[in-house]
Amino acid sequence: MSHPVQTCFRTQMLPLLSKEFLEAWRDRRALMTAILAALILPLILTGLTVFMVKTQTEKAVRVALLGAETVPLLQQQLQSERLRLELLDGGQPQQLLQQGYDLVLEVGANFNRDYESFRSPSLYLYTDSSKSNTGRAQRRLQVGLNRLQQMVLSQRLAARGVAAQLLVPWKLQLRDVSTPSKRGMLLLMMVPGLLIMTLVFASLATAVDTSAGERERLSLEILLHQPIPAWQIMFAKTLVTASFGWLGALLSLVALVLLMPLMPLAELGIQQAISVAGVIVMAAILLPLALLLAVLQILLALRSQSFKDAQARLGIFQVAPLLLLMALGIAEVELAGYWQLLPLVSQQQWLKVLLVGGFVPLGWTLAGSFVCLLLTVVAVWGGAQALRRESLLNAV
Amino acid sequence: MIAVEKISKDFASVPVLSELQFIVPDGRITALLGANGAGKTTCLRIVTGLLRAASGRVLVGGIDVAEDLQAARRQLGVVGDREGLYERLTVAEYLKFFAELQGLTGSKLRSALDSVHTELELEALWSRRMRGFSQGERMKVSLARALVHRPKHLILDEPTRGLDVLGVRLLRKTLLSLRAAGTCILFSSHVMPEVAELSDSILVMAAGCIVDQGTSLELMERTGSASLEDSFVALAYGRKQILTEGAAA
Repeated sequence: MSHPVQTCFRTQMLPLLSKEFLEAWRDRRALMTAILAALILPLILTGLTVFMVKTQTEKAVRVALLGAETVPLLQQQLQSERLRLELLDGGQPQQLLQQGYDLVLEVGANFNRDYESFRSPSLYLYTDSSKSNTGRAQRRLQVGLNRLQQMVLSQRLAARGVAAQLLVPWKLQLRDVSTPSKRGMLLLMMVPGLLIMTLVFASLATAVDTSAGERERLSLEILLHQPIPAWQIMFAKTLVTASFGWLGALLSLVALVLLMPLMPLAELGIQQAISVAGVIVMAAILLPLALLLAVLQILLALRSQSFKDAQARLGIFQVAPLLLLMALGIAEVELAGYWQLLPLVSQQQWLKVLLVGGFVPLGWTLAGSFVCLLLTVVAVWGGAQALRRESLLNAV
Repeated sequence: MIAVEKISKDFASVPVLSELQFIVPDGRITALLGANGAGKTTCLRIVTGLLRAASGRVLVGGIDVAEDLQAARRQLGVVGDREGLYERLTVAEYLKFFAELQGLTGSKLRSALDSVHTELELEALWSRRMRGFSQGERMKVSLARALVHRPKHLILDEPTRGLDVLGVRLLRKTLLSLRAAGTCILFSSHVMPEVAELSDSILVMAAGCIVDQGTSLELMERTGSASLEDSFVALAYGRKQILTEGAAA
């Protein structure tokens, strides 16, 4: 380090950084927001995993069967591992649904007579649509009933010498090829996007406070009176804002790793692939992006008319990365080559790879991170120009 | 010495300063008077380098503010029209921060902090965070911040606003001692008795330029007024204003 740079760092940057860090880390509101933003991702993911295992695995649908004593065929044909029918002597459908049955199937009073005389007898299906699993239970029962109906129809046509296939020009069969492992993978794929979101969520309050907040409290004007270049002020503010976002994302990642033993990952066929080394690499990958997102937030907040205006603008801004990442996810874009130089998108791709225990290409990772840092430098320079704007002091 | 040489400034094509020109000598206290909107704050912001003049130049201790802003700022201490404190820092942290930004380190830093600590009677506030400080306490800290690096030039924008009697007395004592030490002091105010008592020279601004300057006695003599306040009203608003007020009374 050359002498002037060293002097500049010691005499100006260090006090600036120290002041910015003290101010920011003593702001309880910003700190709480950052911690909350950091912990919400692992908690949501744990909850989602547990929920998915609970609902999507082979949980049987319970159906109460009323008035079916004379129709034993119904129970015999519909009964399966995933569809448990319980023949009851009586009961109110509403009460039975409240008692834990997913569905109530009631056989009409004249079912046998109508069935034998080839009239369509009635079956009544009682559901409670306020329950979250009603749709799934109903679909499963209807599949069973359709199959049974098809069988009865075929038998009746066969008895009259008509081939049943004549009435069925085609047969659509649904095959869900997703495995529990693949469904679990979907969850893991959410993690990069959510980690990147944490970079923004955790640093938002600090970005607003250090720019629009300082401007509103008029302390920015006092700072601008000092014999320091505007880029140093901007750089210090960027570092402190990025520290919130980056440490927030790191906390989120660590919490995720710690919560993983509580998640029923094995039931989803996922093997935990995040190692300590993986966490370190992910943290390193997130750092340049944290800096870039921090400086962009500050720039946006500096353009705002007030603290509230800045909060509103950044509220919109924080959705932007999510929308971009969602669009890429929907489009199933797999980026390679020069696309990896694109900030945000490249980090998402690399994190995806690391989460499943893969390796990221070192050259591209370094180049992509360099581009991110380069854009940060440009944005810091832009911020320094913004600090010189006369309108910033409400002079115009 | 601060020399303002024919500076002009307009905001959105509305002229605010028009070839404004004055000199603030060392070891003197100069008051800048003007009605609201006369351009006082704009003028002070140009002197401190926060705003740029459309034409003309400002010299602070011989340094052109537009050419070497950082050097000029090292010679300036500024107390703005609002204190702008960092409420999550203690007074000690706050003053140390600004002293360091001015390049003070080691024993010089400690000595500078001790000095403002004593001069401005900051003992009771020193280790407290600044949230919830009274207006007087805020102004005291703000003044300490402006003085901590012993600037050769001090600019104050309405420094007595919100101060109680003791605060005003302390400010007065401090300014007089700085004047004795040769500091060039420029302050704006609306409080006429304070201006009359403190200032060696008065600049009266109206419509973006200096309409008169001199001691309070000289101004009173030239306007034929019985008080500095009447002189100021006559100069800043015109003699008609005094006649109208007299007729209404």
